[in-house]
Amino acid sequence: MTRILKAALATTALVAAPSLALAVEKAEVLDTYADIAAAAYGDSLSTAKTLQAAVDELIANPSAEALEAAKAAWLEARVPYQQTEAYRFGNAIVDDWEGKVNAWPLDEGLIDYVDASYGGATDENEYAVLNVIANPTFTLSGEEVDAAAITPELLESTLHEADAVEANVATGYHAIEFLLWGQDLHGTEKGAGERSWTDYAAGDDCTNGHCDRRGEYLKAATDLLVSDLEWMAGQWAEGGEARETLMADEDAGIVAMLTGMGSLSYGEQAGERMKLGVLLNDPEEEHDCFSDNTHNSHYYDGLGIRNVYFGSYTGVDGTVTEGPSLSDLVAEADADVDATLKADISDTMFKLATLKSAAEAGFSYDMMLERGNEKGEALIMDAVDALVTQTRGIERAVTALELDQIGFEGSDSLDNPDAVFE
Amino acid sequence: MRFLPAAALILSLTATTATADVADAVEQEILPGTAAFAGAAEALQVQAGATCTPTPELEAAWNDAFDAWMGVSHLRFGPLEVDGRVNAIAFWPDKKGFTPRMLGQMVADADEIVDQPDEFHELSVAARGLFALEYLLYDDQFAGYEADSYTCRLVQAISADLARMAEEIDQEWHDEAAPALLSAGEAGNTTYLDRDEAVRVLYTSLLSGLEFTADSRLGRPLGTFDRPRASRAEARRSGRSLRNVTLSLEALQGLARALMAPEAMPQSEAAFASVFEAIEAVETPDLSQVDDISGRLKVEIVQQRVQLLRRSVEGEVGGHFGLSAGFNSADGD
Repeated sequence: MTRILKAALATTALVAAPSLALAVEKAEVLDTYADIAAAAYGDSLSTAKTLQAAVDELIANPSAEALEAAKAAWLEARVPYQQTEAYRFGNAIVDDWEGKVNAWPLDEGLIDYVDASYGGATDENEYAVLNVIANPTFTLSGEEVDAAAITPELLESTLHEADAVEANVATGYHAIEFLLWGQDLHGTEKGAGERSWTDYAAGDDCTNGHCDRRGEYLKAATDLLVSDLEWMAGQWAEGGEARETLMADEDAGIVAMLTGMGSLSYGEQAGERMKLGVLLNDPEEEHDCFSDNTHNSHYYDGLGIRNVYFGSYTGVDGTVTEGPSLSDLVAEADADVDATLKADISDTMFKLATLKSAAEAGFSYDMMLERGNEKGEALIMDAVDALVTQTRGIERAVTALELDQIGFEGSDSLDNPDAVFE
Repeated sequence: MRFLPAAALILSLTATTATADVADAVEQEILPGTAAFAGAAEALQVQAGATCTPTPELEAAWNDAFDAWMGVSHLRFGPLEVDGRVNAIAFWPDKKGFTPRMLGQMVADADEIVDQPDEFHELSVAARGLFALEYLLYDDQFAGYEADSYTCRLVQAISADLARMAEEIDQEWHDEAAPALLSAGEAGNTTYLDRDEAVRVLYTSLLSGLEFTADSRLGRPLGTFDRPRASRAEARRSGRSLRNVTLSLEALQGLARALMAPEAMPQSEAAFASVFEAIEAVETPDLSQVDDISGRLKVEIVQQRVQLLRRSVEGEVGGHFGLSAGFNSADGD
């Protein structure tokens, strides 16, 4: 068996050889991909810094206007960040990190006060209503925790995924979103969270208690987001680890691109984020549930996949980053597969844009999730179906590029079959 | 150059065996499996019509339906994916406790949807299927309900909905999904453009089934060494957590054997045997032994062997067909 399997690998190598003759080089395609990552994470960082300034202003001079400005900055920061999500799944360095910045769904009672309808601790999560903002000390997994000062360190090292529960999300965009908007108590009716600016007010104007600690939490979470994004942007700069790893093995790099596109399209976006919400009819199953920004987070996820395939990203100041694309590479291998996949991706973008325009016109995403709401279900499921179709197209691109067997590399059973039973 | 003859041999084997494998999988495994599930779900509906309180007869019928579901639950494409049926039949894991919350709400409101079978499919998947029934039949929250109660009608309505879905799945497999797999690559087949795509979808089911058992059925209750999570075991209320592991692996073994002769995948065969042997050593049907160190170790050994099995299958079955797995619905977080 060993001999035959090795021979199979040798076949792959032989088959891969003619690709050297292609006009579009894999290295150029990977360059474009890394350049887009650097630009999109760079934009995520710059918009997060704008958010940071708005948060500082809200804490220093609380007002209704300051809260609205911070919310607007958060919404803008989501636009470039969501477009980077296509870099997850394929790149381990992104996957290992992203839980810090974009973890979801969350048991927000860990962080701050919640409505009685939220419930209490659950089978899954003993700390679902810990409320760190109201409690300067508490016991976590048997350890006494001193939370007198709410620092980035406390959030990152002690609270985030506390008690090994994924829903204990203490950091990132969604924790900040909750602190700006508050819980959305409108169910499947129209309306987002309605936190008042007075939750950050000083002295007697403070509502819901502990306004100073709430401000401290918001500041710590925002500062942490900025430093996390700074780190990731650096990984994609010239000489950065993400870029170096990508370029080290061209075939593996191309597979990383396609893996990110396919896993985000199918399991993550079509499945976990969109279809499941429809199936559960639960408005909490909205990706951006506090702000009612879910239609945008879906749309920009889709656009991020498109950026990767078409090799082009338009930045927040209009700068276009582009170059030889994965599409070019696939077209040289099989023009039909490329044309179909481009059409599939365009169809997905059209369906996501349709959903986004309905939401912007007043038919919000949580209304679409209502039980028996056929029009809402159709808007969401049309986009889900388009994402599923495009996933098949991505699989065909893998086959067209003769990269099918790359996934076996590093597999013990292939490299060293006898090791399996050692 | 010395590898070339062997490579040529592999290619020719692949070319001649691909369709036979798919046909075997469809005819010997999948279609009997969907028929068995439809039959068991119908029997459950009939039994719930006769006695809707948790009698031994109803629990036995529910267990039979769950057993039959384990025979097909890994086929997460086509008819099982339409209308979210996989989730509606088996909503698990339920990380946010949707099932008890929604069922509790329905009972409190006496939600009229139980009397509207045509609309029942609009209900949240968390309040439908085998796990909703498990809550109603086995959990203290609903225990002691009377034969003429709302809860009893809810049990009947969920059973009827389940039987309808099982019947539709069986029908659609016969009418659409099986013909599509069997005619892969023929003119007019837009689902599977060539034979490899048909093999790939089955191979992906096989691998993702193994992954689900290792990561979720076993991994969730195992938690971490310091923090085991017995309360996260699948179907622990009815004590069938371990049984589901066994039945799922048996179904996956059947699928693997349909795709490839046992003698052509000796490592995978040995790995299956070693998993079943490790399962023998586990004493608690609900896997609650993860709470103590020696008990935990036995469950962990099963998990490790399933992971080794997965690698063997990747090497032998994947290697044979020259395929890596496609994207599967569990690829997300």
